[in-house]
Amino acid sequence: MSGLSLDATQLDRYSRHIIMDEVGPEGQKRLLDGRVLVVGAGGLGAPVVQYLAAAGVGELVVVDDDVVERSNLQRQVIHADADVGVPKAESAKAFVERLNPDVTVEAHETRLDRENAESLVADCDAVVDASDNFRTRYLVNDVARLAGVPVAHGAIYKFEGQATTLVPGGPCYRCLFPEAPEPGEVPDCATTGVLGVLPGVLGTIQATEAVKLLLGAGDPLSGRLLFYDALEMSFETVPYRQNPDCPVCGDDPIDSIERVEYTGGCGIAD
Amino acid sequence: MEWKLFADLAEVAGDRHVVVPVDGEDEGTATVGDALDALLEDRPALRDRVLDDDGELREHINVLREGTNVFNEDGLETAVDAGDELALFPPVSGG
Repeated sequence: MSGLSLDATQLDRYSRHIIMDEVGPEGQKRLLDGRVLVVGAGGLGAPVVQYLAAAGVGELVVVDDDVVERSNLQRQVIHADADVGVPKAESAKAFVERLNPDVTVEAHETRLDRENAESLVADCDAVVDASDNFRTRYLVNDVARLAGVPVAHGAIYKFEGQATTLVPGGPCYRCLFPEAPEPGEVPDCATTGVLGVLPGVLGTIQATEAVKLLLGAGDPLSGRLLFYDALEMSFETVPYRQNPDCPVCGDDPIDSIERVEYTGGCGIAD
Repeated sequence: MEWKLFADLAEVAGDRHVVVPVDGEDEGTATVGDALDALLEDRPALRDRVLDDDGELREHINVLREGTNVFNEDGLETAVDAGDELALFPPVSGG
């Protein structure tokens, strides 16, 4: 077995990866050379950052404009009591520095918006959508698809979660949900509450998908929407197809987000 | 006919599983649209949540029949058999 450019410490740290044929030293090198954008360092983002950093994904770009609040700590497992009041992006970076010196975190204490989205997505091998609102989710879908970058999508509601992976060539988020619900139509976590462990399940599924995308291993959750229900303890997968009329990935796609309104239904002006 | 409801739709309707009688379900003449009408008749609170002002299903509400998206079949005209499981799901956004 060639160690490629892995040093002795890395061969030890990642030995349980490297021993598997599906990863091997080449796969581990791909993870170490990987760059992943994590949008949101909250409930979903916490396990995503934790597992991608542990796996040795070399560059994590973490975007979040919130600060840690005490009410986050029931589920946002990378932040600690002493981090209350600290920007989440900065707390995420500090967490990763304690976990794995192989990983560099680029922390952005800002919201992903139409001005910065393209530059944040560019040069990334994958995006993990761990955001908490439809506006950001449609923006991530659109910008990543235009840039040809796959997205591991996850979203939660009380005891339920949805996950799917949006791979160029396959359907995008708009093929499944052409427009967003109007603001206020679907209540958010602060209003409804959320089971603390729920984003742990969904976030680790997203992290799994991101690792698989970097490795080129297995079958991504593309064209399939996975439903998880914690109360029923059930997983269901439902297939969905690319929509030829989809404005982002259909037969006559947009070439920029210039005419997309990221308000209300996140529709595209004619 | 049994409907399974996801996320806030279950709360609006008051149940995750709703069984409604649908005309023609035993004769094989019922459609998904008929079953949806029966559901909304039984759970009127759901009507405003899933239909727009013109009475059309909102763009972000998906309908499944036996685990397949009906918009990949004949939409609301898709035939249903007694015993089919139908589901309605919206996107969720929490993170």
